[in-house]
Amino acid sequence: MSIDFEKKAPVTPEVPRKKKRKLSIGHYAVNGWLIFWAIFSVIPMLWLILAPSKTDRQVSYKNPLSFASFHGYVRAWKNLQDFNSGVLAHWVINSVTYNIAIVLIASVTASLAGFVISASRIRFKKAFLISTLIMMLVPPVALVIPLFIEMNKVNLIDNPLSVILISSLYPFGAFLSYIYYSNTIPPEIYESARLDGCTDFGLYTKIAFPLSHPLLALLAFFAFVGNWGNYFMPYIMLPSPEHYTLPVGLGALFFSTPAINPGNGATSVPILKPEIALAGILVAVPVMIVFLISQKRLIRGMLAGSIKE
Amino acid sequence: MSKGHVHKPKNLLMIVMLSPYLALLFLFGVLPLIMAVINVPSKSPSNPNGGWHVFKIVLHDFRLVPAMWHVLGFMALFVPLMIFFVVAMSLMLDTDTAPWKKWVRLAYIVPACISGSVAVLLWYVLLEPTLSPFKGVMHFFGITQATQIWKTSNLTYILVFMAFLSLAGQWILIQFGSLQSISGEILEAARVDGCTQFQLATKIKLPLIRKYVIYMGVLVFAGGLQIFVEPQLLNSSVYHGIAQQWSFDQLSYSLAFDNGNFGEASALSLMLLVPSLIGALLVIFKTDMFEDVNFKSPKKLAKEAKKREAATA
Repeated sequence: MSIDFEKKAPVTPEVPRKKKRKLSIGHYAVNGWLIFWAIFSVIPMLWLILAPSKTDRQVSYKNPLSFASFHGYVRAWKNLQDFNSGVLAHWVINSVTYNIAIVLIASVTASLAGFVISASRIRFKKAFLISTLIMMLVPPVALVIPLFIEMNKVNLIDNPLSVILISSLYPFGAFLSYIYYSNTIPPEIYESARLDGCTDFGLYTKIAFPLSHPLLALLAFFAFVGNWGNYFMPYIMLPSPEHYTLPVGLGALFFSTPAINPGNGATSVPILKPEIALAGILVAVPVMIVFLISQKRLIRGMLAGSIKE
Repeated sequence: MSKGHVHKPKNLLMIVMLSPYLALLFLFGVLPLIMAVINVPSKSPSNPNGGWHVFKIVLHDFRLVPAMWHVLGFMALFVPLMIFFVVAMSLMLDTDTAPWKKWVRLAYIVPACISGSVAVLLWYVLLEPTLSPFKGVMHFFGITQATQIWKTSNLTYILVFMAFLSLAGQWILIQFGSLQSISGEILEAARVDGCTQFQLATKIKLPLIRKYVIYMGVLVFAGGLQIFVEPQLLNSSVYHGIAQQWSFDQLSYSLAFDNGNFGEASALSLMLLVPSLIGALLVIFKTDMFEDVNFKSPKKLAKEAKKREAATA
């Protein structure tokens, strides 16, 4: 299921290429467009990263893509820290702790589920796979109101457990694990291990798990990327500011400070555009770093089961 | 190996290992739907006696038709734009293996980290003529005031661009990845037969990645139908009232949390789930996207194996 970006169609080595291929105008136009789109794609992120180096006035009047000073970041950070008695620290801690819990629970449960479906002969394999694929393809937003009703019934509204448990359902991870174990471990290995007296749990701990490191990295990557920036679920389930995650906190800064909407009136600590941009960096940059490091994983995972080696 | 020695798997432990995932799948995949169905006929201000005709009440809600037109307008632009642009860009990226294209691909992934509240922040800046990095271009076209851009009539286009820029980059890379699965021999044979780059892209590569394009189309369609965060944040935080109950999900949210009418909100959620479910089932059963997935039951597999054995004997 893996794809190697750099490996291309083998070009027949017998044909000597004395002349360098002449590039057409169309070729230059295509390459020019690809480069233009690449520049256009990074400009918004560049603005976000550079904005906190300026004062609020400089953000409006200086060149949008210019750098002012490192002191700007320190000032914006201090203001954010002082906002509402340091509520930002809570949001950062919440985001980190919720995500650690989600990544752990989601990866372990999905890995175990994928292993069981690939290694066992349980009866409801078909129902399991179809329901997992349906859950994978239906957008999570579609279930938010029904989930709210359910969480309300069990008094888990405004309890971080609601977001952690709901987000730990990881059908995509279970499917990815199923494909991974099916492709990497032949069923004969399980059979011979069973004949040697290995229990089903032993099959997982002694055979599957030691071979699962690339899978677990992939599962953790997708669980993190999918949940770090999630807005809707925590917004609905956790109404108290001390339970907000960073993306929900950023949304709260929009409507409780004059940074974007001057009509909101001044806050005791100046929360203006540089501060908002710095909060935006805290949300976007961790995902960007993970994305840039693991872009191949993203593609392998998204096409899991459909691209063969 | 004789039949008598075949070790029968002890499924109990396997089921124990599967149970945490199954519990999550039931609790947060199946149970909410059951609860929503139970909740639909409950008594509410608009349905004081309760009953299933709440679906009819939702369909007659004066806010539903405008929301439908907004979302349909959004989808009519967003889905074809995404499919056409992503396919064209991935085919362009695949014309040769120049080393600089690696950096271009890295750049395309950057907007994927800008979603939800950060996307709203950035788009506010990008479309604000006094702040935007593109203010030179905006001034050239005579746009000097935010009010020229931020108005309800422009909202469809603004939301299309927001969603498009957030998603296009990662889908370009995914479709580019799918192009790498095409056999080198097929491409070489086509080149030897005199295929131009354009013919290679449209007549060879595109038909071969069709199922991935359909997969993308379904996910983009299902996601677009459920647009919520961007119009909700724009409406509540940036320009008050610009996108009041603009989308289906906003209407559903408003029914539940502004009106306290969970019966109607559940009914609308269930109605919205239908197109997503149909899309999911189409992808699973009507495309060969998941052709490697073995849906057959162990009994069926055993029967097939016996038939094969008999045939070879």
